[in-house]
Amino acid sequence: METPEILNQLQTIFRSVMDNEDIQLTDTTTAIDVEEWDSITHIQLIVAVEKFFKIKFNAAEIRAFKNVGELASTIKSKLA
Amino acid sequence: MENLFQHILDRITELNPMHGKKLKKSVKSLGPDYFNKAEEFYQKYNRILFSSGKTIEFGIDCYLHMCNDMMFEQLRFMETGKYSNTSFDEVNKNVYDNPAVMEYHMNGLLMSEMLWHHHYKVYSFFKENFNHHLPSIARYLEIGGGHGLFTQEAVNDLPNAIIDVVDISKSSIELSKQFVSGGSVNYYLKDVYEYNPEVKYDFIVMGEVLEHVEDPVALLKKLHSLLNENGKAFITTPTNAPTIDHVYLFRNRKDVVDIIEKAGFEVYVESCIYAEDLPPETAEEMKITMMYAAFLKKK
Ligand SMILES: C[S@@+](CC[C@H](N)C(=O)[O-])C[C@H]1O[C@@H](n2cnc3c(N)ncnc32)[C@H](O)[C@@H]1O
Repeated sequence: METPEILNQLQTIFRSVMDNEDIQLTDTTTAIDVEEWDSITHIQLIVAVEKFFKIKFNAAEIRAFKNVGELASTIKSKLA
Repeated sequence: MENLFQHILDRITELNPMHGKKLKKSVKSLGPDYFNKAEEFYQKYNRILFSSGKTIEFGIDCYLHMCNDMMFEQLRFMETGKYSNTSFDEVNKNVYDNPAVMEYHMNGLLMSEMLWHHHYKVYSFFKENFNHHLPSIARYLEIGGGHGLFTQEAVNDLPNAIIDVVDISKSSIELSKQFVSGGSVNYYLKDVYEYNPEVKYDFIVMGEVLEHVEDPVALLKKLHSLLNENGKAFITTPTNAPTIDHVYLFRNRKDVVDIIEKAGFEVYVESCIYAEDLPPETAEEMKITMMYAAFLKKK
């Protein structure tokens, strides 16, 4: 799966978890840009991402996500 | 620093915006009394850090490290419905007896005492009810005192009592020695199962230890044996709280109360507080932690 496609999927997942259809994601989106993105929705988000892409993150990977781009590139490397 | 507590909230938000947001939301509902207490608490902690050449930045770092561990544990817990640890000995080796881990973990936990509304509420619940017991306490014991927050209350409120603390972790005892001021406390570096004093106690506090052992009934029976016939105990334990050092899973209040009663105790005051402010279905689905706290007497 290519990065734009992953981003697109992530956007769908974010919108559904945060219950907000207006969320627009880019590589540089962080929790500062999305009001509903707090430590609780983050867990729901990771659960949904793991389920959708059928992957599992380890503790270090989860700690390292600084923005959506990093999340997408970790997903990409896991799918490869 | 003028307002250390606000600085801590801001700094956490800077380092971990997701977590900072949640904290800021959750402390909003607590009254002005809370903010004063929190400020006093962190000023004190800051002085302790300063005396060992550290700053509050160290505490914040430990706290976020602990939160990251917890987030990962929670993720796996939501999937498996189980805690990742099953063995006390493993946890003892990897955590209590491992200064590199225990130092950040216990400092992180200390930081959480005023940052988490459920920790603050349990602490207030304890203070309020503990007051009524003071005249009857000549000998006080704390099991797994950890950082020493409750021990400090005992020292403040019981100037003439004997105050003993038993903890299996050297790191915990060292932190408690720094944190607790005024009064004298006797520390015993031991597994509580190996602690056999000659005289029994009038009051025993055991905060967040029950979930750390494989057989919580046996632990409460041990506590029972250390307590006078008319003695009272205060215990706390979280349900659904996956953490690097939790072994025994309590799923709900009933799980805890069943075990308390099996060990020969009766609950006479209790408090249940959810860790997150969420709609009940979401709390249920995400298996959100609930803090259970109770005063116990012998049946
Ligand atoms: C989570 S901390 C609790 C700290 C504090 N009492 C509180 O309520 O926040 C658990 C403490 O119990 C200690 N502990 C765990 N198992 C123990 C055992 N079998 N005997 C004595 N101490 C134990 C640990 O070393 C740690 O300091």
